[in-house]
Amino acid sequence: MEQKLLAPLAGKILRLQVEAGGRIEEDEEVLVIEALKMETPVFAPCDGTIKEIKVKEGDDVEEDDVLAIIVTE
Amino acid sequence: MRPYFEHMDDLGHALREGEIKRARANVKAIEQVEAEISAAVEHVKDAGFPTEKINARGQLTVWQRLEYLVDPGTWCPLHTLYNPLDNPEGTTNVIDGLARISGKWAVVIGFDNKVLAGAWMPGQPENILRAQDVAKRLNVPLVWLVNCSGAKLPDQEKFYANRRGAGTPFFRHAELEQMGIPVLAGIYGTNPAGGGYQGISPTILFAHEKCNIAVGGAGIVSGMAPKGEFDVEGAEGLIEKARHFKAQPPGRVETHFGETGFFRQVFETEEGVLDALKEYMREMPAYHPRFYRVAEPVRPKFPEEDLYRLVPIDPKRVYSFEQVLARLVDNSEHIEFRPDYGPEVYTGLCKVDGLLIGFVGNRQGYLGKGYPEYADYPAMGGKLYRQGLIKLNEFVTHCGRDRVPICWIQDTSGIDVGDLAEKAELLGLGQSLIYSIQQTDVPMMLIVLRKGTAAAHYVMGGPTANRHNAFTLGAATTEIYVMHGETAAVATYSRRLIKEKDAGRPLDPIVEKMNELAKQYHDNSRPLFCAKKGLVDEVVPMPDLRRYVQAFAGAAYQNPRSICPQHHLMLPRIIKG
Repeated sequence: MEQKLLAPLAGKILRLQVEAGGRIEEDEEVLVIEALKMETPVFAPCDGTIKEIKVKEGDDVEEDDVLAIIVTE
Repeated sequence: MRPYFEHMDDLGHALREGEIKRARANVKAIEQVEAEISAAVEHVKDAGFPTEKINARGQLTVWQRLEYLVDPGTWCPLHTLYNPLDNPEGTTNVIDGLARISGKWAVVIGFDNKVLAGAWMPGQPENILRAQDVAKRLNVPLVWLVNCSGAKLPDQEKFYANRRGAGTPFFRHAELEQMGIPVLAGIYGTNPAGGGYQGISPTILFAHEKCNIAVGGAGIVSGMAPKGEFDVEGAEGLIEKARHFKAQPPGRVETHFGETGFFRQVFETEEGVLDALKEYMREMPAYHPRFYRVAEPVRPKFPEEDLYRLVPIDPKRVYSFEQVLARLVDNSEHIEFRPDYGPEVYTGLCKVDGLLIGFVGNRQGYLGKGYPEYADYPAMGGKLYRQGLIKLNEFVTHCGRDRVPICWIQDTSGIDVGDLAEKAELLGLGQSLIYSIQQTDVPMMLIVLRKGTAAAHYVMGGPTANRHNAFTLGAATTEIYVMHGETAAVATYSRRLIKEKDAGRPLDPIVEKMNELAKQYHDNSRPLFCAKKGLVDEVVPMPDLRRYVQAFAGAAYQNPRSICPQHHLMLPRIIKG
């Protein structure tokens, strides 16, 4: 089953902490969005594998944009 | 009212594996700062003569006296690193803190007899006044360990006179006594002049048999007839007089116990004096905590050590305030005031040792679509907006009505700015909060958990609320400044940059100055700086924060000046609706 990881707020992608194809555990940091001088980490909602990362560092994103797709077991 | 407090709403959750793993670097960084602070504290403790030398003279050091005097595990030091005028000794030469003696909370303060025999020093009057303010705000006894050789004479111009000078604490003792707050003193050693007033100004005086207190000591008495200058003949005379007065200093026990009766009791041993203080403290008027408890005391569900993982030392990182609060309060429970309004601030009631405390804190992170309601830009926690300021005004006012002490936890970058913020009345609402605090007569404490910035540092129960804030704590993560250094550099130099650019001159020198200013802000906002300058009253290791909140709660409820019966509390009913 696929799960979309959505941007919780608008901002710039500061850091990607995972790579496509990599395994990820629930609550692991996937990436960090910078907005309003603060860094907001975005965590994996479940265990799984990163199927696709839709953004790269430096990208501007809007709230609810799809950041990544996670395949859950 | 039992059903309101017996089982309140759950707060926080246990840390998950991923959270623990992620926080490793953060734990290390915080521990490193705490190690620096701990080293600075040891430096203060080691100031002056070694303990062995003092003990060889038949005396205990102030630290040994404190250890004997206070109930084990209750010492909450304050102002340990306070040294605002940079004394080379590294201390203002008084040691103070909150502690229980014979089961009762008191503010305890003593001169460090290892350093210049406990002399007055620059910065000391302000330190003493701060300790006296804690006693005054919490309405608890002030207990002195007097051992004061008088002024450090070469530095007298820095502390002797002035509005808040070395004589002000004597007036403050009288003020405490007028308010019904007892000042107990155990007196040791030679206490001439200022030391004499340190000895005579408290309420009850217990003397060690070898102590003395006097208007002037041997040094002054023997030097009272100078010719206008010094010569060898005069020096010989001084030697003779000084020898006499050293052997027979004025104000000995035979005078102030035998003749004047100023000393209530005299003791052969140092411990005897401390035992008398303990005995009198045992008899101090105080409510049993059960009088005010709303539930039985319980530890938080989650360990205080989690705070190392929960509070990011990087000020740009967000975290959960509720998770932090869950490590400070009984059974990690709360009832929240207006959870659906002013999302940038938490306001709620929690129990600490079974006693009701109002908690206020800045939430962090994105606050969601449509907030603030008066603007089209997004809102980030840490900042205060219209709703948050209104909620804080309401909460503080209700706490005042219900006589609930307040613990503020700051991590704030300021109040929202701009035209829309002005139209939304934020300037007025900030000052309204100051008014609300001022007319709310309950003890408050503050933890500057991370950022204390701009006017928000004032209005959120900051130490500037002189009549309310009993004390302010910092942590390894604390930083206090009017604004971030980079913001300050922009504010200071942006016009200059335009000028230089228009004149065709290179920008490098201005950029260099901007970086210098940003660094200066960084250096002068760190925990050690804050402690030294008194921006906080103590920097506390993360796991000790709850212990200080417990001390605050215990002291605030020990002998409050006014009472709200539990069944007349409105705040829990307002929350329930």
